[in-house]
Amino acid sequence: MNIFPQERDLPEGRHQLLKEFVMTSLQDQPKAPRKLLRAGVLAPALGLAAAAAVALPLLFGGAPAYAVAENPDGTVTITINEAKDPEALEAELRGMGHDIVVDYLPAGKKCATRPRGENWLPKEEAPLAVFPPTIETHGFQIDPSQIKPGQTGVLEFAVNDNPEAGGVVAAIWARVSDGPVAPCDLVDGDAPLGDS
Amino acid sequence: MDVMRTRIRDGDQRAFEELFDQYARSVYNHAWRLTGDWSVAEDVVSLTFLEAWRSRERLTPDGGSLRPWLLGVATHVTRNLRRTRRRHEDVMARMPRADAVPDFADELVGQLADQERLAEVREAIGRLRAHEQDVLLLCAGAGLDYAEAAEALGIPIGTVRSRLSRARKKLELALSRRQIDGDRGTAVRPVKESTR
Repeated sequence: MNIFPQERDLPEGRHQLLKEFVMTSLQDQPKAPRKLLRAGVLAPALGLAAAAAVALPLLFGGAPAYAVAENPDGTVTITINEAKDPEALEAELRGMGHDIVVDYLPAGKKCATRPRGENWLPKEEAPLAVFPPTIETHGFQIDPSQIKPGQTGVLEFAVNDNPEAGGVVAAIWARVSDGPVAPCDLVDGDAPLGDS
Repeated sequence: MDVMRTRIRDGDQRAFEELFDQYARSVYNHAWRLTGDWSVAEDVVSLTFLEAWRSRERLTPDGGSLRPWLLGVATHVTRNLRRTRRRHEDVMARMPRADAVPDFADELVGQLADQERLAEVREAIGRLRAHEQDVLLLCAGAGLDYAEAAEALGIPIGTVRSRLSRARKKLELALSRRQIDGDRGTAVRPVKESTR
């Protein structure tokens, strides 16, 4: 007699269901950690992107905390390298004419006020996050054109507590609110991102 | 160079589907052995494949079966379940929930002489140190050999051997004490080691 029972299959139908779930979720996942590019390798790429990208100024070198790039199709790519200063990112986006609220949620923290809004547009109706991305990116692609006058876009980023390179942000929740949005004052606790 | 490994590393989603079909069952059963909960084991299946996709670039191009790699990811996911769930929080919110599944005790009623004996085995395994449990469950439970378990856990083969030896001795001692204390009805076969 073995101390472990005979292996068994997943319950009927679950194998296919889980496979479909995993395959459709792959695009939401943060990219695999990558080796940091050497400066010499990075420089040409930065030069090409400079016209379209706005990044938090670098005072002492290193990667910027975040970068925002406008794409030719009007979408915006956000890359977060360090989970600090969401206000600056938010101001950057607002400076580009996009009414967007940005919050970073570290592990073990949640927004004190839930729900933050009462009139969220369904993701299918106003897909603020572009999925799957239409451009090659290691960041998140959003489509600000989904935000109509009087509406507010909300981006919540789940921040890894011990991030590996390229994995600062674990997940994004992006929705458009057709009404007021409460600020996210961080308090201790676990809760899923977003209101829905 | 292994073709399947290369396809996975290159982000071939069709290959990843094949990988799921081939090894979801192994991951499911390994996760159950680690947790004793079939519903949690389903979560671990999804999270393991999401994590595997995320870290696919770390996969070495040369090597044998991808099963040890996946079971290693599953072990890590299970040991860090809370953190892993948070990393995939947005995805987890959409996870299809499992129907109620009988737990391991119900499952084994017909296979072990009695539930009390099973509980003793689980308890004895639970008293092992986590890294001893990992090696024991990979080798004796999932049937990996020393080299595969070493690959799964990213440790030297000698460490696998010594941890497994310690785990076996502790387990046998714990169970033999139980028998001396009164239960003489069922002998538990020593953990079987497989070697390549």
